[in-house]
Amino acid sequence: MSFREKSAWITLITLIVLMLFYLTHLPPPWWLRANPSGFMFHVLTIGVVAFVVIELVAYAIMALRAPREARAPSDEREQLIALKARSIAARVYPVLSLGSVFVVIHLGANEGGILYCVFLSFIVSQIVNYAARVVYYRRGR
Amino acid sequence: MTQTAITNTIRKLRFEHGEMTQQDLAERVGVTRQTINAIELGKYSPSLEVAFRIAAAFGARLEDVFSYGGAPDAQSR
Repeated sequence: MSFREKSAWITLITLIVLMLFYLTHLPPPWWLRANPSGFMFHVLTIGVVAFVVIELVAYAIMALRAPREARAPSDEREQLIALKARSIAARVYPVLSLGSVFVVIHLGANEGGILYCVFLSFIVSQIVNYAARVVYYRRGR
Repeated sequence: MTQTAITNTIRKLRFEHGEMTQQDLAERVGVTRQTINAIELGKYSPSLEVAFRIAAAFGARLEDVFSYGGAPDAQSR
């Protein structure tokens, strides 16, 4: 497994775990009523800091184990995989965010609920991004 | 798993050139070992530049290394 494929796996798993952590700490029905200034940012801050720390530690360990690979620039296949994955994520995000906002507005959501939908749509699109990278790496292209 | 229409003789050429490893070839060409593996298995079609670099690494012509739609055509020489 190449350095960048391992990186994609780590980011994918970290995003999924932290998103689940975030969702389990939101009081339901968070998709309708939310206080954007309180509980959400407390949990969000913990999630973001945890994400950064996990990524830094994981990358540092991988770089120590394979310093040449870590320093090498992405080759054409890795760049193509990243481009294709980002393209898929770029299509998922607007559909998901606009679709979920449309649905929750009709259910009577306040601005906090809408903010959750947009934010979670972004996280899901990034999960799709890294999942697509893993699939392309496994398939070879 | 989808295969590309481009076939190659990279594996054979590696063995003919002192049992060159995929890593050795990757370093000469400037790609990762996994990319060389994907090219050998027909899972990935390299760019023209990388294809030329691979051929140059073996001191061979491009058409001796890569072929479109079948085995390398010896009759085309």
